[in-house]
Amino acid sequence: MKTGSLLSNEKLIPCVWTIGLAVLWEGVAFILAEIVQDQMAGMRLPYLHDILITLFQNAGFLAGASATTLSRAILGFAAGAAAGFLLAIAMSLYSRLEKALYPYLLLSQMIPILGLAPVVVSIVRKAQIGPYTIAASDITRVIIAGYITFFPVATNMLSGLKSVDRDKRNLMYSYAAGKPTVYAKLMIPFCVPYLFTGMKIAAPLAITASILVDSLGAAEGIGYNLTYALYTGAYPVFWASVLCSAALGIAGYSVAAFFERICLPWKTAVQKKEAGV
Amino acid sequence: MTGKLQKAVKRLWKDAEGFVLPALFGILIIAFWEKKVFHALLGVKVLQLPIPSRITAVFLENAHRMAPDSLATLNTALSGMILGSLAGFAVALIATMFPKWGAGALTLLSAMNAVPVVALSPIMNVWFADAESAKTAVVAIVCMVAMAANAFRGMNDTKQFALDLMKSYAGSKRQIFLKLRLPNSVPYVFTGLRINVAAAMIGAIVSEYFSPASKGLGYGIRNRLSTGQFPLGWAYIIAASLIGIALYAAVAALERWATTHRQV
Amino acid sequence: MNSITERISSKDEIVMDKVGMTYQADGGKSVAALSEVSFSIHKGEFISLLGPSGCGKTTLLRIIADLIKPTTGKVLVAGDTPESARKSRKYGIVFQNSVLYDWRSVRANIQLPLEVMRVPKPEWKERIDSMLELVGLSDFGSHYPHQLSGGMQQRVSIARALAINPEILLMDEPFSALDEFTREKLHEDLLRIWRRTNKTIVFVTHNIAESAYLSDRVCVLSPHPGRLSAVVDVDLPRPRTAELRHKPEFHALVAKIRNSFEGV
Repeated sequence: MKTGSLLSNEKLIPCVWTIGLAVLWEGVAFILAEIVQDQMAGMRLPYLHDILITLFQNAGFLAGASATTLSRAILGFAAGAAAGFLLAIAMSLYSRLEKALYPYLLLSQMIPILGLAPVVVSIVRKAQIGPYTIAASDITRVIIAGYITFFPVATNMLSGLKSVDRDKRNLMYSYAAGKPTVYAKLMIPFCVPYLFTGMKIAAPLAITASILVDSLGAAEGIGYNLTYALYTGAYPVFWASVLCSAALGIAGYSVAAFFERICLPWKTAVQKKEAGV
Repeated sequence: MTGKLQKAVKRLWKDAEGFVLPALFGILIIAFWEKKVFHALLGVKVLQLPIPSRITAVFLENAHRMAPDSLATLNTALSGMILGSLAGFAVALIATMFPKWGAGALTLLSAMNAVPVVALSPIMNVWFADAESAKTAVVAIVCMVAMAANAFRGMNDTKQFALDLMKSYAGSKRQIFLKLRLPNSVPYVFTGLRINVAAAMIGAIVSEYFSPASKGLGYGIRNRLSTGQFPLGWAYIIAASLIGIALYAAVAALERWATTHRQV
Repeated sequence: MNSITERISSKDEIVMDKVGMTYQADGGKSVAALSEVSFSIHKGEFISLLGPSGCGKTTLLRIIADLIKPTTGKVLVAGDTPESARKSRKYGIVFQNSVLYDWRSVRANIQLPLEVMRVPKPEWKERIDSMLELVGLSDFGSHYPHQLSGGMQQRVSIARALAINPEILLMDEPFSALDEFTREKLHEDLLRIWRRTNKTIVFVTHNIAESAYLSDRVCVLSPHPGRLSAVVDVDLPRPRTAELRHKPEFHALVAKIRNSFEGV
């Protein structure tokens, strides 16, 4: 009846799920701590309210660490995306280049890139630019985040460039447009949706990469907090850091999706049309 | 006659370009690497970045010693992938059966996916006393989400008229599922599998970094690099990459077999 | 082998002289898309290229537009080769799909040729406004293509083709994708536009009634190989009105055109 119609309201369902999950969490934590009397309950699944309290208590500290991780990820992401964008354009302009590099682009999707982070860590040393010292870990984070962004962006962008339909190109040809014009007015604007697809895939990956490097050998950042908290047995802090890193991952994707909606207002409208909404 | 021959040669060359050019590029890179061009450019010592000939030699020497580690990682990756994919598929199934709650379940799963594998690993280490299960659990969770999302799309992305056709046959929900949704989801499931293969390898290796167990390629990489055995560390990296490629190729071949044998 | 030749006069905007188009299909067989087509199109004329699929009508249009080159024969467009006509922007083209750029508004789409051809910027607003008024879409300048119906999109496509004020308008089955009601409305719009602008219009279609209703002359093309079977004069009075479609003389003409096809 009343509750039934309340539950069938679409917007309420995610709220119900979140609340339900929170309740479940507390419930399981309770069971672990009190009923099963698990010694490791504090480590396995602490009370949600404990975690949230720790989160608020250490808000500044966690925010700072998150900002460090995020900023490196963003830098790497931007560099990787720009490089991927440019390479895709170069590959579409020179078919020889495309033929030479395309198999490597495919291969890169099969190689466990994230797993190779330690290599970069071992190679990179700190850099000195004028009076500023850039920590090795910073460079590593940017490199790996960039590397991990580069491939999805390049692959998707190239796929977009190759799928420009013939009539759109014929139209430009009928205007006797030069190649730079064709790229500026047709190819690149056409591919922006593909660029965003690649970026949405890469954004969470770049953040994960940054966190991974944190935990492998940096002196700051959310990943570092994770391992340090674990090492010193500060489990609530550990879990608070976990929540932070999850939030970062979601934020990365959401920001990319947000920008997509701004830049491509017609795309979501078209998708809605096609879905019959 | 010569015209025809010319044309044939031209076509042969065009087809060959697809192989020759990447091969040439690869050879060029390896040559530069061997001649320490990258070392000069990046200011890196040969000790830290061994040259290919050294790596190859070390790889061949130690192949038998790397085998158990490779198998360990493979084991973790595959079992985690199978578990996770099955679980993800099950979630998609349930979500399809109960559409109103389904979307919520999927968003929940995406939230779980947002927890980076770096954080998942220590958590699983605490939950599971056995290091192997912990690692497998990490891989399973990572694979569950991708499979759930893809399978769900496959089951629900049916064309409206296909659905209407089944309804006009007064098909029951179960029949609709078996005869329409399930076959429709096969290509999507394979996409999910291909994603999962790469994710499983990454998950396995990264979880090995954080695992107390001293097994696996991830452990091999980290251990060798931190003890300064750079050529061997790189050999492990090559091994990991080769396995990743092999798995991907296997899934792709499976996909091709399945789609040609399908009764569409 | 049918070829209808006409005397070339100074009134001729487009001249086809024994134009042939042969291409290699998969398997090495040569297919004659067009075989020795000769005729000429007068300035300010509305002419249709009519035929079923495979008769080469679209190929012929694309040859005029310099989108493909014929294997034999000569083509003159506005006294020049198709290539120079294209480079000096003597024609505008409308495709079956409106080919509007999704990311540009209606105004911006019409502006596209003006940008590419470097028409001075101060002229843009006036030109776009007059084009919008010409096709009856003055209120839709800021709309995006996805917000418009198929018929409206084609009208924008026509406005865009005319924005640079070309002498010739080439149309490749522009209304084939639209429903009959929209199509008939667009017929009226097109004839009105033609009366106001006096362009030479080359209109490709597979619809006999459409070609009869719109044109001064109809070039009947038959397939296998693509060839010109007949050029039928449409001596119905102008301006053409909707009632004309019911008149016996119209039906007789349609029958006459239908009988001119060979080998269909």
